[in-house]
Amino acid sequence: MALRNTRIVLVLFGLALMAIGAYVAWIEVNHNQYARVIEWLIGALIVHDGIIAPGVFLATLLGRRLGGRIPAAVIALVSGALVVGGIVALLILPEVIKKAIGTASSSILPQDYALHLGVFLVVLALLTAAAIAFYARVFARRQNLRSPADQA
Amino acid sequence: MQRLLYRFRQALIAPSRNPRTAVVIGRLLAAAFIICFLTGLYSHFIQNPLPGMQFLTRPVWLYQFTQGVHITTGILCFPLLFAKLYSIFPLLFQTPPVRGFLHFLERASIAVFVASSLVEITTGLLNTYQWYALFGFSFRPTHFALAFIIIGSLAIHIAVKLPITTRYWRKSTSYDSAGELIPLPEEPDRNARLPLPDVGIGVTSRIFAWIDKTPAPKSPRLSRRGFFTTVGVAGATLVALTVGQSFRPLDVLNIFGPRKAGVGPDALPVNRTAAAAKVLETATSPDWTLTVSSSSHSRSFTRADLESMTQYEVDLPIACVEGWSQTAHWKGVRLRDLVNTVKAPKSASVRATSLEKGSIYAVTELEPNFVQDDLTLVALEVDGKTLDINHGYPARLIAPARPGVLQTKWLSTLETF
Repeated sequence: MALRNTRIVLVLFGLALMAIGAYVAWIEVNHNQYARVIEWLIGALIVHDGIIAPGVFLATLLGRRLGGRIPAAVIALVSGALVVGGIVALLILPEVIKKAIGTASSSILPQDYALHLGVFLVVLALLTAAAIAFYARVFARRQNLRSPADQA
Repeated sequence: MQRLLYRFRQALIAPSRNPRTAVVIGRLLAAAFIICFLTGLYSHFIQNPLPGMQFLTRPVWLYQFTQGVHITTGILCFPLLFAKLYSIFPLLFQTPPVRGFLHFLERASIAVFVASSLVEITTGLLNTYQWYALFGFSFRPTHFALAFIIIGSLAIHIAVKLPITTRYWRKSTSYDSAGELIPLPEEPDRNARLPLPDVGIGVTSRIFAWIDKTPAPKSPRLSRRGFFTTVGVAGATLVALTVGQSFRPLDVLNIFGPRKAGVGPDALPVNRTAAAAKVLETATSPDWTLTVSSSSHSRSFTRADLESMTQYEVDLPIACVEGWSQTAHWKGVRLRDLVNTVKAPKSASVRATSLEKGSIYAVTELEPNFVQDDLTLVALEVDGKTLDINHGYPARLIAPARPGVLQTKWLSTLETF
């Protein structure tokens, strides 16, 4: 009963907030801009469901197929690094492009983002390689320790 | 089609994609969204107060802090939202896609939630890069309206998922001793590999047969740990490499922030330049005066007049809704002293008008507590130098805990009301 009541309260609260949102959109957003906002919303779904989702789907398959041959920890490290690098690049590339287009004042986007992104990705790759090398050494040592016992 | 969706779902099974990880990431994302919503509301209402609203003048870094948190948390929403979408990814291919009217509403509300969340954080980020031209709509009202839609659809989403959320709230009751998820009693194990109806000879079937040859991941704990570590590292990296724009001690790590402390005229960032505000002539005119008026009196002050009054020095931040902020050392006349010269009552508000043309921020208002505050100045100098024209020469407002956009530059008149 408590669960049911909580759900009812949450739904009513949610509907009230959405109504405020619709009201604000009606009052404050210029009506001839609605089409553009809707384009953005649908565009977001297309980018997510049509591009990112299939990409992740393929990456998941690849990861699973490689699963039998490459140690799981190595796959985790590489995929983790790809995700971190991918997300950072996704957020910073627009900054690189906007800086190239130009800004209203010299204190807006003052840094060399392209260079910084490049250095960041190289450092990330080096750290990942070092982590894999470290893992390989530990893994090899464990195997060495284990094998005499296995034979005995 | 149904079989294809089912196959997709099966192929996407991974230990890190389960209701428990969705709950863990979901709580963090909900917290992040609520923080962004509240700090955003604060900034909105301090700029557009509803009747009777009062705002604090202390701590002086209140606005700076809330907006630094707003932007940093907004950036953090990217990895969290991606992780959340990843954790529930197989549900995108659920079969049948729609089970009834309520299920249709549920999926529709999720579509609204996902679309508006993605647009909100993306346009928010692009706004900090000042890439307005890409939008095709005005940012502020749209960002504001979408915020209510998002938090509203979030509440509905929580209501729909509440049984799952409460069931998997704690780790100890989510996994068995082998680290496998304990499924909900009323539904079969979603991760179980059900026998497939038949294997055809088409291309799709061959691809899936190839996929199915792979054994399921052996170590669910490693897979989940990898997932959470990746999300954590992505979030920590983004925060660490940008937060310096609002949190000075981490300035040294700020390589991606759209602002950098110490970059700008007199080592202080500028949003709106004198050229953009079209004040290059009016602000440097020898005829410039600051007119202060009340209902009964009016006085005009030249810059020399202002300099001859008692000067005060304060350390206050310039803090932008775009998240960046920098504290500076300001020197000038107390607003209260100026207002007293025209015999305004202590309860008076002040309307400040700039020389600036064509901006909604050319006129701003200060409530009585800001007008009477010891720290609220009509500043003439910053960091030991006469104000640069881009910082508001000949005179500008600087008050504690106020958005940068309301710290009116190139002052022309001050009227009490």
